[in-house]
Amino acid sequence: MTTAATAAIESPLIPIHTGGWRGGLGNLVRKELGQWWATRMWWVQLLVWLVLLNGTTTMVMLDSGMAPDALVNEAVQTFLLVGATAIGIGVVLTIQGAVVGEKELGTAAWVMSKPVSRASFVFAKLIAHSVGFLVTALLIPAIVFVVQARFLLPVPLDYVQFSLAVAVVALSVLFYVVLTIGLGCTFKGRGPVAGIGIGLILVGQFFKGMLPLPMVLFTPWLLGDVAGSFALASPPDFNRMIPIIITAVATLVLIYVAVWRFGREEF
Amino acid sequence: MKTKVVQNHTGPPAPGQRVLDPVIHAVGLTKTFGHVAALQGIDLTVPKNSIVGFLGPNGAGKTTAIKLLLGLGRPTGGTATLFGLDSVRDSLAIRAHVGYLAQDPRFYTHLTARETLRFTARFFYRGPADAIRARIDETLELVGLEDKADRPIRGFSGGERQRLGIAQAQINHPDLLILDEPAAALDPVGRRDVLDVMEGLRASTTIFYSTHILDDVERVSDHVAILDHGALVASAPTATLLDGDSTTYELTMRGNEQAALRALRTHVWVNNISTVAQNGAIAMTVSVSDERAAESELLRSVLATDDVVVTSFGRRHLNLEDVFLQLVKGHGR
Repeated sequence: MTTAATAAIESPLIPIHTGGWRGGLGNLVRKELGQWWATRMWWVQLLVWLVLLNGTTTMVMLDSGMAPDALVNEAVQTFLLVGATAIGIGVVLTIQGAVVGEKELGTAAWVMSKPVSRASFVFAKLIAHSVGFLVTALLIPAIVFVVQARFLLPVPLDYVQFSLAVAVVALSVLFYVVLTIGLGCTFKGRGPVAGIGIGLILVGQFFKGMLPLPMVLFTPWLLGDVAGSFALASPPDFNRMIPIIITAVATLVLIYVAVWRFGREEF
Repeated sequence: MKTKVVQNHTGPPAPGQRVLDPVIHAVGLTKTFGHVAALQGIDLTVPKNSIVGFLGPNGAGKTTAIKLLLGLGRPTGGTATLFGLDSVRDSLAIRAHVGYLAQDPRFYTHLTARETLRFTARFFYRGPADAIRARIDETLELVGLEDKADRPIRGFSGGERQRLGIAQAQINHPDLLILDEPAAALDPVGRRDVLDVMEGLRASTTIFYSTHILDDVERVSDHVAILDHGALVASAPTATLLDGDSTTYELTMRGNEQAALRALRTHVWVNNISTVAQNGAIAMTVSVSDERAAESELLRSVLATDDVVVTSFGRRHLNLEDVFLQLVKGHGR
């Protein structure tokens, strides 16, 4: 009889036999979420985004020189555009070491010596960081924005349209989480991870107005603008769906690449 | 030429199912990094419930071999099976039955020792929180970390990390413990404790461990494998390796040394004799070319000499350091 079998008889502990790609996933997700919610990370992130997003939009809302409709437009656009760009940068800066750091420190090798699949390691990070950023950097600031709008804006906000717009920004956040984790699975140092991630965002901000629209449509750079058009209930236009579809597909492809690349990692 | 092993792919051993012997079986295991051959086709067998010391100089390839066994790296050539399962294809199932301590164990430093063990245990077990807590307490006690259980690991010394490393490797009561330099960072008391733990687990677990500390190997290992420059230069039961050098004999005598030397030199199979005075006695080391003749005639010819008393006689007994140095130097030449 094996030692594990003897232990199983003597102890009420039940051996886990989760094989395949989900091996160890639940435990890793719990650990990764713990790093967000059982430490000061969640409130530091929340504070940063409340100050950055809601602080900026409060200043816009308090601008008395604008017409009521223009004021609503400006506040909503500010929230969504700043959100789509700044949260992307925040994601890259915050989690650039999520995979690379573990590879450097040796904790990834330790975890992978347990019955854990490579895919679980990657998915746990994707899940925890997506949830962390979506809640602290987008969802709560969006709720606060709605409350602010109710008290400070002269024209009521269309909550359904605003929710759709926030969902588009959420896709942008997911894209940058997946991109950063994927780069971490691919490179050995933080430099390329941060450089490529931040570079992609900044290049988009600087050049999206200069490049021909058909080129820019096939990037995630326009998601903030697309979100703005949703929030303001602009007339339906297929062009605004293209960045959403492209970003969603790119996100799925990057997840596949991240899992494939980490699966080939040698420790 | 390497033998191709036909894998018996039966899936992971279920609780209650007897694992296959041997626990580890590697055939032609090879790993190259660019043009550097870290492992040169090693054949290795680790029997069940044995303690196998894996020896070799720095850079010999011990850690590389261990990582290949655990699926942390991919072999360039050859195969390795653990419990009859392929180290690449069935790595996840293998790791469910293995406890591993890395050479320089690293953990999440914001967690405490207890949290680290809980995190580790949850890869293997589910069940009542009390039962998991009891398992963790038992493991902490095993390595003597009860009083530091709730401190963050970032404040741990090297020795304490090593103890925690042993604890997390043992938390699942593994069928195979793979320890990479388990005693390297420990003081003599810590080393003794680790060896005691290993000896205590002998009945229930197979232990495969790498080390530089030859005294430890001699004390607890029943098998020894020696690796040098990526090649396995010896793999045998410890007793066999230390069984003695059959071409060298040691004889201690009192009395007429010259007469004894004359008697020995009459034999053509005696190659060399060296003598050392030792507390009033003479210790002779005699190297021979004919083991059989020496066994039957060497002692007799000395005893036949007048005025000689022999107080001890036998083949030269080796220690592991002698064997290790002989093999490694011989291979390096």
